[in-house]
Amino acid sequence: MSYAYLFKYIIIGDTGVGKSCLLLQFTDKRFQPVHDLTIGVEFGARMITIDGKQIKLQIWDTAGQEAFRSITRSYYRGAAGALLVYDITRRDTFNHLTTWLEDARQHSNSNMVIMLIGNKSDLEGRREVKREEGEAFAREHGLIFMETSAKTAANVEEAFINTAKEVYEKIQEGVFDINNEANGIKIGPQHSPTNPSLPSGGQGGMQGGGCC
Amino acid sequence: MFSRVRSAFMNVVGGIEPVVGMKDVDGPSDERDRHRHLPHKFPYTRPHFLQLHTEEEIAVTADHHIRPIIVPRDINVMPWSAGYAEAVNAGKSMLNEDQACIHRGLLTRQDRNSSDSHKAPSLPYVYFGIFDGHAGSGAAVAAANQLHHIIHEKLVDIIDHLIPPVVQMEKSSRSGLSFFFPGKEVSKESLITGALESAFWDMDQLIGEDKLKYKVNGGCTALAALFIDGKLYVANAGDSRAVLVRHSRSQPMSYDFTPESERQRVRRLAALQPELLGNEYTHLDYCQRPVQKDIGKRILYRDWYMTGWGYKTVTPSDLKLPVVHGEGKRSRVLATIGVTRGFGDHELKALYSNIPIKPFLLCQPEVKVLHVDDEEEWSEEDVLIMGTDGLWDVTSNERVAEIITKSFKQFPQDENRNKYRYTSAAQDLVMSSRGKLTERNWRTSEGKSATIDDISVFVIPIVDYKRDHSAWLEQNKALREQISANMNSINSNVVVERAVHNGHPQDEEEEVSLESVMNGDDEIDTSAPLRLELQ
Repeated sequence: MSYAYLFKYIIIGDTGVGKSCLLLQFTDKRFQPVHDLTIGVEFGARMITIDGKQIKLQIWDTAGQEAFRSITRSYYRGAAGALLVYDITRRDTFNHLTTWLEDARQHSNSNMVIMLIGNKSDLEGRREVKREEGEAFAREHGLIFMETSAKTAANVEEAFINTAKEVYEKIQEGVFDINNEANGIKIGPQHSPTNPSLPSGGQGGMQGGGCC
Repeated sequence: MFSRVRSAFMNVVGGIEPVVGMKDVDGPSDERDRHRHLPHKFPYTRPHFLQLHTEEEIAVTADHHIRPIIVPRDINVMPWSAGYAEAVNAGKSMLNEDQACIHRGLLTRQDRNSSDSHKAPSLPYVYFGIFDGHAGSGAAVAAANQLHHIIHEKLVDIIDHLIPPVVQMEKSSRSGLSFFFPGKEVSKESLITGALESAFWDMDQLIGEDKLKYKVNGGCTALAALFIDGKLYVANAGDSRAVLVRHSRSQPMSYDFTPESERQRVRRLAALQPELLGNEYTHLDYCQRPVQKDIGKRILYRDWYMTGWGYKTVTPSDLKLPVVHGEGKRSRVLATIGVTRGFGDHELKALYSNIPIKPFLLCQPEVKVLHVDDEEEWSEEDVLIMGTDGLWDVTSNERVAEIITKSFKQFPQDENRNKYRYTSAAQDLVMSSRGKLTERNWRTSEGKSATIDDISVFVIPIVDYKRDHSAWLEQNKALREQISANMNSINSNVVVERAVHNGHPQDEEEEVSLESVMNGDDEIDTSAPLRLELQ
């Protein structure tokens, strides 16, 4: 399907906060209570509409485990947006946000939009991190903030779409260099400013090569 | 005599026939145009065990900017939780031209007397294959789809050695086999090695034949690991590599075949068949390549039969390009190809000339055997690493052993997560050779140049196979005892009658009589002599 832009996202945060479940809820509209450990990266994609334009979100879901941290870091660079997730029922996942944020700031391109997400809002009874604390952290570090539930789907759409809106606005303002695919944004085939028949990105791939 | 077994197998795999004879694929240019429009026999995809189902997912894995490290989605599809990880090249080709395959096979004896196939003696095996494609992905995709079927067929051919008929167990299997295969004693090891070698040959022939009917572009290296009968067989043709990491030390399980390592073989062929050089290349090697003004001067050279250097006087024919030229990774045959063994490349011509390259290439693998079933203990940390040259160009055998050891040490000690340790280690190895993108270059963590090639890696635990094999030995013994007990109770009367009839001594044990019956008959089928007796 054709799209005006493709945005690459990355989802980061401690292990077990619900990163893979957020992705699954957003792309497949379903919840999987028992999810196997993510090793390396998983990915999903979905089309959304912003300002009447078709935008494709390509989302990279990363491993939260410490053992995979150096590998996770290598995916920041190619992302236009990041969802930084913690679990409102586990204080330690909130305490680790600073480390995650430092990592993200250090390894991503400076314009990457970061959305802070307090997940598992359905488990109000077990809450350990107040909503206000999340808001304060976001304000302090210049992030957008939402609480979500990958289980009930509350705010999941909004989290992904609001991040996309922010990226889109930055494009309109000319902040992003959209011709450099390494920034996590790709212009769709229908929108290509020069030669629409060329494969976008121009990464020096084989012309018409490959076997299919 | 195994035609029944073979045809049953053929029905399962959809008829892969050994190809006899090769036609010339070099046609006029309109023929090559036609080749462009041929259909694919197998569509391009990523290894089946990654479970990437859509074209979009496959496209995402080939993101040249991010070069994601892809691992299996469901670890449970991997035998022994073996690890695998891959990363695409940095843009040198659109697609990842590496391919891989895993196959769990079962060789089953189809004796007529064991009507229940679940109770028939059988031998399980596990196969891992890795193929590094060049000049297109067709040959690598073909090998990933078919080599294991061909190997299976070859193993079926030697099934009587691998799983002897049950009645043979009653006496020493050696004397039984020498009846079927008189003359020279041949070990199972050399038969399995032969099966692998002939399978590699057939695979290459099949690709050559398919190039006439389908679009199968390019060539590929081939590295296969076969765990069977308590041993590990590693067959290699090309510059992928297998290394055993044991007690944190590396031990090569294959030899890299490159223009440099096969310099002498290629030059010998060139010397013996100079017509293959099209008057444009020379089989000689020069310390420094002579130029026009050197004619008449003395120069250091070596012929194909020399490893050291000698002097000769430069003549005009010395100005030709050496058949193997360049050093290390840059060495090329006919200034074109950087790998000397593998499958495909049937139509490949030297750059800027019409000289076919295929005659200089071999599909023959070198096979190494590791006795997993020996006395020595294997630990959970002893693994076989299989990788394409993308891994080894940057990360040495020793470094691989270090990374593996460190990776296992760092991995959380948690029973539920333990199964991911090999995947995690495979990922660490790919990471080591892929590095990170800094500015415009991919660099390793030490700041050196990382590879821009495709990288694929298997990390396979050895101890799990040893465990599986021991369990199989127990089961197999019990099964055989059960089968032969059943057979004896049904047929003992008949057998004894016949033994008497033949005038054999009666004071021997019943089993011996059974075998002497066998020896008196030409039929291979174990049930046949008994039936004959009943007539």
